[in-house]
Amino acid sequence: MGIALLAAGCAARPVERVVGTPAGALVARETIDQDTTPKAELRMVPPEVYMRTYLQLFGGLLPDAVQQKARGAEGNNLFDTWDDYVSSLGFPDYRLDIPRQTQTNALMVAAFERLGIALCDRAAERDLAMLGKAGGPKATALPVQERVIFAFDPAPGAMDEAQFATRFDVLHRTFLGYPAALAPKERAPRYLALYRDIAATHAKTLPKSKLTPDQAAWAAVCYGLVRHPEFHLY
Amino acid sequence: MRWPLLFCSLVLAAGVAFTRGASSAPPAVAPRTLDDYRHFRIASIDLLGRMPTRGEVATFERADFDFDRWIEEHLQGPAYVERLTRIYMDLLRLEPNLNFSPAPAQLFRHEVLQDDGKSVYVYYRQNQRRAEPSIDGEFCFAPDETGVVIRPNAPSVGATPKALPKKLLEARTVLVHPWWLYRDYRSPHPSQRLGESWKDPDPQYRPVETLLNEADGKPTIAVRVCREEAQTQDLGHVHTSGRLKNAPADEKLPGGRSKPPPIDKPFALQHKGEPISCDTRSALENSIDCGCGVGLERCIPNDGNGATNAFYFPNKMPLGPGQPLDLVKQRAERWYPYWWSREAVHFLDDLFEKDRDFRQILVGRQSFVNGPLAQFYKTMQRTSCCGPETAFGMNEELAPLFEPQNVPVDLMPHDVETWRMVPDRGPRAAGILTTPMFLQKYATARARGAVLYNAFLCKSFVAENAQLTPSTEPNLMKRPGCQTCHATLEPLAAYFARIEPSSSVFLPATNFPAVSAACRKDKSGKLNGNCNALYDVAFADDKGATLRSAYGSIAHADAAATGAGQDITKMPEFAECAVQRVASSFLGRPTNADDAPLLTALDKEFVASGFRMKTLVRGIIRSSEYRKANNMTLAPAADAGAK
Repeated sequence: MGIALLAAGCAARPVERVVGTPAGALVARETIDQDTTPKAELRMVPPEVYMRTYLQLFGGLLPDAVQQKARGAEGNNLFDTWDDYVSSLGFPDYRLDIPRQTQTNALMVAAFERLGIALCDRAAERDLAMLGKAGGPKATALPVQERVIFAFDPAPGAMDEAQFATRFDVLHRTFLGYPAALAPKERAPRYLALYRDIAATHAKTLPKSKLTPDQAAWAAVCYGLVRHPEFHLY
Repeated sequence: MRWPLLFCSLVLAAGVAFTRGASSAPPAVAPRTLDDYRHFRIASIDLLGRMPTRGEVATFERADFDFDRWIEEHLQGPAYVERLTRIYMDLLRLEPNLNFSPAPAQLFRHEVLQDDGKSVYVYYRQNQRRAEPSIDGEFCFAPDETGVVIRPNAPSVGATPKALPKKLLEARTVLVHPWWLYRDYRSPHPSQRLGESWKDPDPQYRPVETLLNEADGKPTIAVRVCREEAQTQDLGHVHTSGRLKNAPADEKLPGGRSKPPPIDKPFALQHKGEPISCDTRSALENSIDCGCGVGLERCIPNDGNGATNAFYFPNKMPLGPGQPLDLVKQRAERWYPYWWSREAVHFLDDLFEKDRDFRQILVGRQSFVNGPLAQFYKTMQRTSCCGPETAFGMNEELAPLFEPQNVPVDLMPHDVETWRMVPDRGPRAAGILTTPMFLQKYATARARGAVLYNAFLCKSFVAENAQLTPSTEPNLMKRPGCQTCHATLEPLAAYFARIEPSSSVFLPATNFPAVSAACRKDKSGKLNGNCNALYDVAFADDKGATLRSAYGSIAHADAAATGAGQDITKMPEFAECAVQRVASSFLGRPTNADDAPLLTALDKEFVASGFRMKTLVRGIIRSSEYRKANNMTLAPAADAGAK
């Protein structure tokens, strides 16, 4: 009986009709020329270039040696293995007909992060060894020309803007290939702010880290540049 | 100079330059704009294969820096070569995901028990013909003798292995000093054993440990091989057993074997007693006096009773074999495909390094071989032939794509790092098109034709508004809906009709005319004899049949791959396509109608230079379009990395 009622109810519903509305004519608001100039799309540095650049930034080593150096001996998993990263970096696999990746994805960005952090931390430990643990024995400074990333001497005492700018320029040229003076004007001050912020936070909270506040602050500046869009694109 | 060494020296040089710049009087600095720096950076990425170092940027800033001279210098470098090769490897993807395992070349091994209670490995080939019916076509000891039934690619069946009497073991097997263990395996008394008196093998030559040691872990001094497999002569004879029919199903099989011994094939009956080349498939199937040759050099070892390991070689090497990320135990059947791929890369590298006429990519007769490839081209490639071809009088390859006599004679199978140019592979060689890597990657005539069309003419098969209707028309150039693409594809495929699918075996016109009167349809509509394997019943009648894949163009089939190379490179689209591919790669974007003036100018220069890539790349790097291709100029980057 319920079914009969339901059927009767449905049958009683009026047929739905949707009445179309004619679209009005589009009114011209403005006339502009068609832009036919070639458009340069964002293009990523090929993974071969990216990897070779990393090998060079680690001191011109072969992949195995870089892996060993990046992993270190303290077991903090700063770097896994190249094997774990190569497919994430967008290399093609000709055997499986997988083409090279030309756009970033989450895994790729994560791989960039890991590689960048490993590079900057290891470089800070090595190149800025003279800024080592307070109270402990100070390591002998490497000659500047042997420092691949931080090829400058730390400023004596607190750094002012000019002192920072000179040192920042070294890093800027290393990662982005041009003087910091040609970059947007706000770049150096923002990185100085970053430097001071990290150094202060690191000193205040004394995190469990191998790096001293100054080393950590320079490493943070390095992270910023090695993750900068201009480093990944060309 | 190889990449890693050069890479380190470049970095060192860059460091020295930087040091010098830092310690001596500062050089005159030229004013450079941001665009100048970025132009230098993209050129460095393209020609150095990495971003510029601080030292290189400092050199660029000097007033006396000559960008044109810098370009010229780096057009000679390995990074430029790698950059160009990458464009064509991305297109052709010439790396193997395939195996090469013709039965005559695969040497397996089985562990047997000696009468002193010790085990020993005995090497054998599957399907090896032997005189004794109990072991003909099987392992050289019968199940009744070993106590187990040996099965290819599967565990043996049988609970209790029997010890083999020493006399029987000596009668059926021979001790051999194999090529993978001895540098001087061809000498009458080999003595230079790997890791002992042979101390300096190529670092990349790494047999797996299990091939170097016995079952008890002791070093292998010589391997025990079934007597037939150990034979060394080049020529054998066609053997007949006298068995013309399979034994009745209820008849007890000799020696406890699980399947009946092979019967004589028509080929053996027709050619009984005639000489036969030992490095052919026919010899394995039809002779008992053909083996693996001196030091077993016609065979590759497996460390088990199926497709098992043989050598260590890399799986991942994103920056090339000089900088591998791993070294993995790999199967014997992967060994030669791995080197085929390296041959293709060497071929391309040479083309760009020497700045050869780019048309050589499709017509060049040169190639490169190392030790394993010399071994492959001398003997292994021949083991793919011949089966159905024997019915056409081809018992061994009559017209190989790579003539074995053109292989350098002094390369040993272990010389994996020594690459030698072979100036002329033979009259049927056609650039990359006749390399095993290309032919195996693109296994069918249509696949080969399609990749030629796409990679070298920049055209694609796209069917627009195709209406597919049921049809029995075998000619795809006519079948409604299909003809849109196949009218072009079938004539291209015909160029490859003489190279067998998934193989490098060439079918010469002398034995395999494009249209054969010897192959005809019978009353039931089938092709006679062995014709069906090589000729197409869809293009046959009672007067003759057409070679498979040849129906699109008989002329193309007869012109073969060399004709394809010549015809394609004569087309104006060939140069245009090369220009478009390289320009697009360097500009980092697809070219479009607005790039027409640039492409036209580049094409003109490229052709006028004799199809030299360096001319083309020089033109691109100096162009304003390349300078503008730096996206950062158009989209100033935000400082996303900093707070």
